[in-house]
Amino acid sequence: MIYLPIAEMPVNVLVVLLVSGVVGFVSGLVGVGGGFIMTPALILLGIPSPVAVATGASQIAATSFSGMISLARRKSVDWRMGLLLSIGGVAGSVSGVSLFHRLLEIGQLDLIISLCYIVLLALIGALMLTESIAVINKRPNPSRAIFSRSARGISHQLPFRMRFPRSGLYISVIPPLVLGFFIGALAAIMGVGGGFILAPAMIYLLRMPTNVVIGTSLFQILVVTAFIVLLQASMTHTVDLVLSAILMLGGVIGAQLGARLGARLRGEQIRAILGAILAAWSVKFLFDLVVTPSELFLLGSGA
Amino acid sequence: MKALLAALILLLLAQAPARAQQAGDVASDLPAAVAEERISVSSAYRGSVIDVWGVNPDRRGRGDVVVVVRGPDQPATVMRKRRVFGLWVNGDPVRFAQAPSFFAVLSNRPLRQIASPSSIWSLELDPAASAQLESAVPAGADPSEYRAALVRLRGAQGLYLDNDRTGVTMYAGGLFRARVQLPANAPIADYHADTYLFRDGRLISSQRIPIRIARVGIERRIHDLATNYSMIYGILCVMMALAGGWLAAFVFRRS
Repeated sequence: MIYLPIAEMPVNVLVVLLVSGVVGFVSGLVGVGGGFIMTPALILLGIPSPVAVATGASQIAATSFSGMISLARRKSVDWRMGLLLSIGGVAGSVSGVSLFHRLLEIGQLDLIISLCYIVLLALIGALMLTESIAVINKRPNPSRAIFSRSARGISHQLPFRMRFPRSGLYISVIPPLVLGFFIGALAAIMGVGGGFILAPAMIYLLRMPTNVVIGTSLFQILVVTAFIVLLQASMTHTVDLVLSAILMLGGVIGAQLGARLGARLRGEQIRAILGAILAAWSVKFLFDLVVTPSELFLLGSGA
Repeated sequence: MKALLAALILLLLAQAPARAQQAGDVASDLPAAVAEERISVSSAYRGSVIDVWGVNPDRRGRGDVVVVVRGPDQPATVMRKRRVFGLWVNGDPVRFAQAPSFFAVLSNRPLRQIASPSSIWSLELDPAASAQLESAVPAGADPSEYRAALVRLRGAQGLYLDNDRTGVTMYAGGLFRARVQLPANAPIADYHADTYLFRDGRLISSQRIPIRIARVGIERRIHDLATNYSMIYGILCVMMALAGGWLAAFVFRRS
């Protein structure tokens, strides 16, 4: 047991290590930040949700940095694309944080978060699941079949085109900026890295090759979460250094083990696993909203 | 232990002369003290116990003792869920301008037998009595429902304690003791313990004792840094995250 100075509560170190280790493992396996599991898990452990959101961001930063280093060594990071996504992401997280406070004031933050989760997770989960199952069943090139009508997407028609040698793309800078902005806002509101949306969006919208998607999304997540940590630490004082250190220890070890296993599995298998997790998660959120709660009242934030 | 108690009683009696603060005919000279006036929060902190000792000055031991331990008042909001299109969403938040962040009331027998409902309310011997509603409740709702919900929810968090009968133990010679379990999630702040002596439903005397809960050591340093130098603290957090991530990638590179 150790007492957390900012969360103002004692936690069991081993339990937190275990939770962060499992989350890190999944995140390393499928190349997502893991925040969408970590933040709810922390809240479940009794950590106040503002602290869970802000501290989770610092742990995601550490995990993505460690994952990114390993992938950068294999030349799986498109730095130019990552930088564009990050610029959008930083702008997005600023507006996300202000929206966060606005929703907290009117008491509808959890509803919006739940609805966001349900829609996004169900959509992406279903998409990934059907696509990867089709690949596993050896149907020829299903992703091309889905998008066959627009082999050259909207990214190719917009102005300000730029060359991305590592991704082998020559597309407009506008879609990456908009995508980054959207992910940054989402990260600030939902306390997640956003990789579970970013990675599929990079594959399906930007048409990036799968081998650079994970490394590049980790780079964007690193920049955005590091920025959110700074923002939360200076504005809301909700980043717990001690909790963050424990999460990091479990998270990075788990992530490394996960990444090692992930390198041995095939891409479509990983995507099928992730798709199933996301779909299940969205059903759980919907279930919580529909079932009559046993306690109809709840405490809001003090101020 | 007995010698310690005796010394404590002597000390209390010596301090008894009044510091008259309260208006009316109620004396504020009930001899009482807490075992620890400063509670230190270190990294091993797991909650604490507040021990309130006191002496009933009545020679025949008549009267009843009520002890209230309170944390500072803070605003609070309570929401009631309602169903919209089949989904349970939060209703409009109802604000309490002031609600104690921690509240424990103890007495030697059930409070309702000691004091009248009106004095329980006016002396704020009940957490619901201390919570002051600020905003109007939604149309058709009952304000007392929200008040009760606040007390119930805080009670579930261990922040509002109401252990009526066993709270205050009376010893021979008028000595009494109240023991409050302070959970680790109780806010770190300045508390106070109020002791009240009732006789035949009337308040005879009372006493207020301050209790300070404060961080010490590394807990204090981290918290001070986070509050006063938040930008440095934030940079420190990010640096730690980067160092941790780099270290992990370095350690796991081989093999």
